[in-house]
Amino acid sequence: MKWYIFKRLLWAGVATMVVLTITFVLMYLTPDTRIMELEFQAAQSGTDPEQARQAAETARGMDQAFHIQYIDFMQNMLSFNWGWSDSRSEPVIDALASAIPYSMMYGVPAVIISTIIGIVIGLYSAVNQYTRGDYVATFVAFFGISIPNFWFAIILLVIFGTWLGWVDLLFDTQASKIDGEWALRAIVSWENVKQLILPMFVLMTASVASMMRYTRAEALEYVESDFIKTAKAKGVSERTIVAKHIFRPASIPIATILVGDILGIVFVGSYLIEVVFGIPGLGYLSFDAIMSQDTALVFGTVFVPVFVAIIGNLAQDIAYVILDPRIKYGDR
Amino acid sequence: MSVDTDPTTQSANVRKDADSVTFEDVNWDEIDGTARGFTRTRIAWYAIMGTYLLALLNDLFNRFAEGAYQRTVAFITDTSRYQVETPGFIPGAGPAEYPLVGEIGGVTWLWSLTLLVGVFYVAIPLYQNQRMTAYYWREFKKNKAAVISLIYLAIIFAIGLTVPRFMDPPEVEPVLAYQPPVWGSVRETVPIQCVGPVSGGECHGSWAHPFGTTHQGKDILISIVYGMEISMQVGLIGMFLTILIATTVGLTAAYFGGYVDEILFRYVDIQITFPTFFLYLLVVYLVGGSLFVMIIIFGVLGWGGIARIVRSEALQRREEEYIMAAKNAGAGGLWTMRRHLLPNVSNSVITAATLVIPGLILAEAALAFLGLGDPRLPSWGETIADGRSDLDRAWWISTIPGVFLFMTILAFNFLGDALRDALDPRQGGGE
Repeated sequence: MKWYIFKRLLWAGVATMVVLTITFVLMYLTPDTRIMELEFQAAQSGTDPEQARQAAETARGMDQAFHIQYIDFMQNMLSFNWGWSDSRSEPVIDALASAIPYSMMYGVPAVIISTIIGIVIGLYSAVNQYTRGDYVATFVAFFGISIPNFWFAIILLVIFGTWLGWVDLLFDTQASKIDGEWALRAIVSWENVKQLILPMFVLMTASVASMMRYTRAEALEYVESDFIKTAKAKGVSERTIVAKHIFRPASIPIATILVGDILGIVFVGSYLIEVVFGIPGLGYLSFDAIMSQDTALVFGTVFVPVFVAIIGNLAQDIAYVILDPRIKYGDR
Repeated sequence: MSVDTDPTTQSANVRKDADSVTFEDVNWDEIDGTARGFTRTRIAWYAIMGTYLLALLNDLFNRFAEGAYQRTVAFITDTSRYQVETPGFIPGAGPAEYPLVGEIGGVTWLWSLTLLVGVFYVAIPLYQNQRMTAYYWREFKKNKAAVISLIYLAIIFAIGLTVPRFMDPPEVEPVLAYQPPVWGSVRETVPIQCVGPVSGGECHGSWAHPFGTTHQGKDILISIVYGMEISMQVGLIGMFLTILIATTVGLTAAYFGGYVDEILFRYVDIQITFPTFFLYLLVVYLVGGSLFVMIIIFGVLGWGGIARIVRSEALQRREEEYIMAAKNAGAGGLWTMRRHLLPNVSNSVITAATLVIPGLILAEAALAFLGLGDPRLPSWGETIADGRSDLDRAWWISTIPGVFLFMTILAFNFLGDALRDALDPRQGGGE
């Protein structure tokens, strides 16, 4: 097993390198819009655009040979020197550090709550298969999977912001801080929680839905199994059967979807949700960077979910072999 | 897949031969001739594909080869190259002109190919094998939600395919901005000029703009109709490309195994690790988000999951007797994959394919919503984004296109679920 874990670690390293290499090649091949802009400005002001381009390229080290640029890039990336954000006039890492707490503030509770709700409803659905409750749950799941969350966010803003006036259309970035510093007291204050309810709700629709569907499918594998029938025959209470005999064996595959799928859903979901609600988290930062053509910041903000996904996959594989001794190590 | 040979006529031929001659004198040439199956459908398929390829080659030649030199020279000397444009094709001499249809763009080429394949590999086989079609339909009909979804999607598809042919795209008319939908009303001060009736300080909607207009005065109904075609193009072409690559890779890996398998699926491992949405985002940001580029990116980068399904399914099928029998009869790799493996994994492929579509449509809408799409195309995501800053004044701009987006995605999800139940007896209900 140690060998397997070592191999997975190595593989995660390889995946990281491949991702970084691909991004570098993409960056290398596509024309830099800022340099094109400089050229344009030079052409307009009457100087030689060619010269302006060369000067800009030298300043950015772009006149170097391909492999030197590549090694530079990799070194910078691996030492978390992710470049300078032009639009925010600060290092990319600093911009990320100031944005991520905003995303975590509603993202972490949303993941925890939706996991619990999803598992509970999924188990209920599986035990009561083809009853009215199951159909309602299934319909809600389809609704949650299908509704475009950015649009759902807009609808909720129209209803609760424009029509009912219960929430503000603008996000108050200072509500979670006291004198500009993050403070737990401010984060849990009603002022702050009130404006986070809608984003959390939208974020949870999709993750609850997929968690629920997955839990239901996994739990169904055991509902008809012999050991459940035995337990029923012995007169074990319904609640104990669900908690001990169905949930336990089903929890391992469920735990893997938590890392794999739910993280993905939450990252993509929060990206769009932050844009709609104006929460200055990671997604909004990335959106802003795209709008202002700040390539270094775009890459920085996209790397965060990518690396989390790589680490999540790694953790999932390792957790799987530790939790489930039946797994063969060589398996994909 | 299409079944071109009719086994009854074949065996009748054999029997007739056997009756008239003492020895079983089977005319193998004749049987081989029918087995190769130059039926009318097949001939039509070859003829149409031939025409398509010739026209496409001509177009590509016009775009890239002929006059590319002059273009390059003009491109270098022209200072307008410093204007950042969304890149579509690399400029050549420009697209070819065709009678009746005029210029054909990249998306249209892919779209017509997808539709042709759909007609020849889905519609015609379904029509020719009416017994199986009736069976599938009986199974499928049990799921009411799926039947409604299918009808809804058929309507969206039909409108999206036909109406934009003879209707002009939505036009910018600032005077007509902020018209409310026909059933709604808005404060008189919001629109510059109210088309509908005005009463009690409220501007009411009118049938001139049933779904109202945007802040630029674009008619939302027309935008939605155009958006139908765009969404269908994204979903179906993207699915077609995805399936094409996924089945090819999956079958190749499963059939050959060994190093081929190892290399192909190590790559898939990496591709799957990368969260698709962010991959799309990054590439669209770097390359530019014309619809053509977006569809290609969706098709080329999102096939990992289905390739895995195909591989695991085909690995099981590979061990079955009919594959052995085919190999004994001298069938080559390509033949075995196409005639024996593919039909037997097609059920899982069809199901997975249907469930790919909503993801692609949603991804396109999300990218368009973020402003990464082509701003000239009235896709649903684009229209939703248009109304985002006007939520307090004009709620209908963002909400109405979203209803269509939501319903379409929901319908594809229902459809995929029902197809899984109808086609795939190996998988139980569940997820």
